[in-house]
Amino acid sequence: MNDRNRMLAPFVPQPDDDIIVCRCEEITKGEIRRAVHDGMFTLTEIRRYLRTGMGLCQGQTCTKLVKGIVARELGVRPDALEPATGRAPMRPIEMRILAQDKEDAE
Amino acid sequence: MKRYDLIIAGAGPAGLSAAIEAAKCGMKVVVYDENARPGGQLFKQIHKFFGSKEHKAKIRGFHIGEELLAEAADLGVEVVLNSVVIGLFPEKEVTVKIDNHVEHVKGDTILIATGASENMVTFPGWTLPGVIGAGAAQTMMNLHGILPGKKVLMLGSGNVGLVVSFQLMQAGCEVVALADAAPRVGGYGVHASKVARCGVPFYLSHTIVSADGCDHVTGVTIGEVDKNWNVIPGTEKHFDVDTICLAVGLSPMSKLCDMAGCEMEDNPAKAGFVPKVDEFGETSIPGIYAAGDVSGIEEASSAMIEGRIAGIAAAIRLGYISEADGKEKIAEQEAALNGLRQGMFAPGMRGKMITETEEGVSISQNLLKHGFVADDEIERFPGITHSKGIHPVIECTQNIPCNPCQDACPKHCIKIGKNITALPAVDEEQECIGCGMCVASCSGQAIFLVNEDCGDGTAEITLPYEFLPLPKKGDKGVALNRKGEQVCSAEVADVRSAKAFDHTSLLTMKVPKEYAMKARFFRKEEAV
Repeated sequence: MNDRNRMLAPFVPQPDDDIIVCRCEEITKGEIRRAVHDGMFTLTEIRRYLRTGMGLCQGQTCTKLVKGIVARELGVRPDALEPATGRAPMRPIEMRILAQDKEDAE
Repeated sequence: MKRYDLIIAGAGPAGLSAAIEAAKCGMKVVVYDENARPGGQLFKQIHKFFGSKEHKAKIRGFHIGEELLAEAADLGVEVVLNSVVIGLFPEKEVTVKIDNHVEHVKGDTILIATGASENMVTFPGWTLPGVIGAGAAQTMMNLHGILPGKKVLMLGSGNVGLVVSFQLMQAGCEVVALADAAPRVGGYGVHASKVARCGVPFYLSHTIVSADGCDHVTGVTIGEVDKNWNVIPGTEKHFDVDTICLAVGLSPMSKLCDMAGCEMEDNPAKAGFVPKVDEFGETSIPGIYAAGDVSGIEEASSAMIEGRIAGIAAAIRLGYISEADGKEKIAEQEAALNGLRQGMFAPGMRGKMITETEEGVSISQNLLKHGFVADDEIERFPGITHSKGIHPVIECTQNIPCNPCQDACPKHCIKIGKNITALPAVDEEQECIGCGMCVASCSGQAIFLVNEDCGDGTAEITLPYEFLPLPKKGDKGVALNRKGEQVCSAEVADVRSAKAFDHTSLLTMKVPKEYAMKARFFRKEEAV
């Protein structure tokens, strides 16, 4: 996916483009498809651009769905796409708790 | 900073099994789990497990969970609930959120046993309340005692879809249909059969077109798909339902491995993005292990063995057990794991079209298409015989690794042999005493005792029955065939419950003798 000059077929609206894919951030299938045409070829880029998978469930519901949509739009197999980076905190956490995190509190 | 010999993320079947093996070797082990209750999926599994004795076959999942917890507690394993592992770093430091603070702990070895999450599919209306994962339905029913809905459509014919459909009916829901976009039933035929004979229609090559409703699900439309998975116009069918259950596969929750820097792979055979592990479950980072669904979707039975292997491997690594002794223990576990990974549903068989059993018997195509073995197919299987008097009829038609029926029969009427995937055969030389142990021991509820001719124009069929309220002797109703259609009137001749049957009651019904090989379920209602 590093080929930035990759030529995509023109964006063609689909009847189910208004279907919500990322429920937490309310991102539709059409928005994800458009983002690919805007040049977002990796899942990390899509995530930063649209916030898919950045909500309460942290992508547990939509990761695979988003991957499928992006892969189809790019015309590649889903497993050719590298997953978005995993980093702490793995689960949603309240800021006040995270802020109190002191290394070696004991 | 607190230190442990082994830190485990996830107190499910893999995590607890690993903790037990490591603690047995004298290791100081902590298990974190984000849930309020331990056991992972085990405590939702109210059905009897498959396998052989070493795999805890014919024991119900939640009982296996209780055994594991008790064993872990005896060995001094620390299980911390409501604790969320939020970070794992290459130098084996773990950050975990407990109550209102974040703790940093360090492990000499780490095991990731975080399991999997449910896949979803999108269709118009999929975000309506009432569309839930099959796992969520299980959590509601079996952990919290809450009925997910009254009328349910299940999407997905894998073992999860089949098992949860049956459990929904046990809980009192009506399952109006089971649909799957695939052309063939994905799960065990015996699971499909027990759902089909309760009257649930199977719609293979069908997917959900849309869910109806304004603020909750009030109905669902399914339609037949063509080779390219597009719905064929004019094939739509509508059902009034309040719940749509999705059982469309699981994805490994492997992000912790990824963030720790373990080498990962996207492997369709393992159902997703998983850490690369060696035969002991060790990832590319020495001392960090992964076991269970997180390293490839399989059954709870194999997760437990993978966990044990990882636990022993960690003990070898830290010198709590000699390499020779440890390897010997691992070899035993590997043999057990290999036993499970045999037959038509073995991990390597995914997606393969199988036409014959290992014995060379043609597979029932009706079973794959409609969820039940057709009348003209059933006779060719070795479990079907027609002795005089009472005898077992074993409707087990696929090679799955399971053999409790063989040991259950005190008279040795049932033969499977050394190869545990072989189809059970009835030894007609041995006399059946009608004890029913085989009926109750069959995790697939596929064994019946049949007396084809009682001498008065009737036949008696004893079937496994796991619904409440239990019918009583003398109750009148209808007999259903394998498809779940009413075929004749029936009267309950006997209902037996015993501790040894473990909540599977044996219901004996009397039917006209021409239905001896057709009637397979009883419903208490007036004949139409």
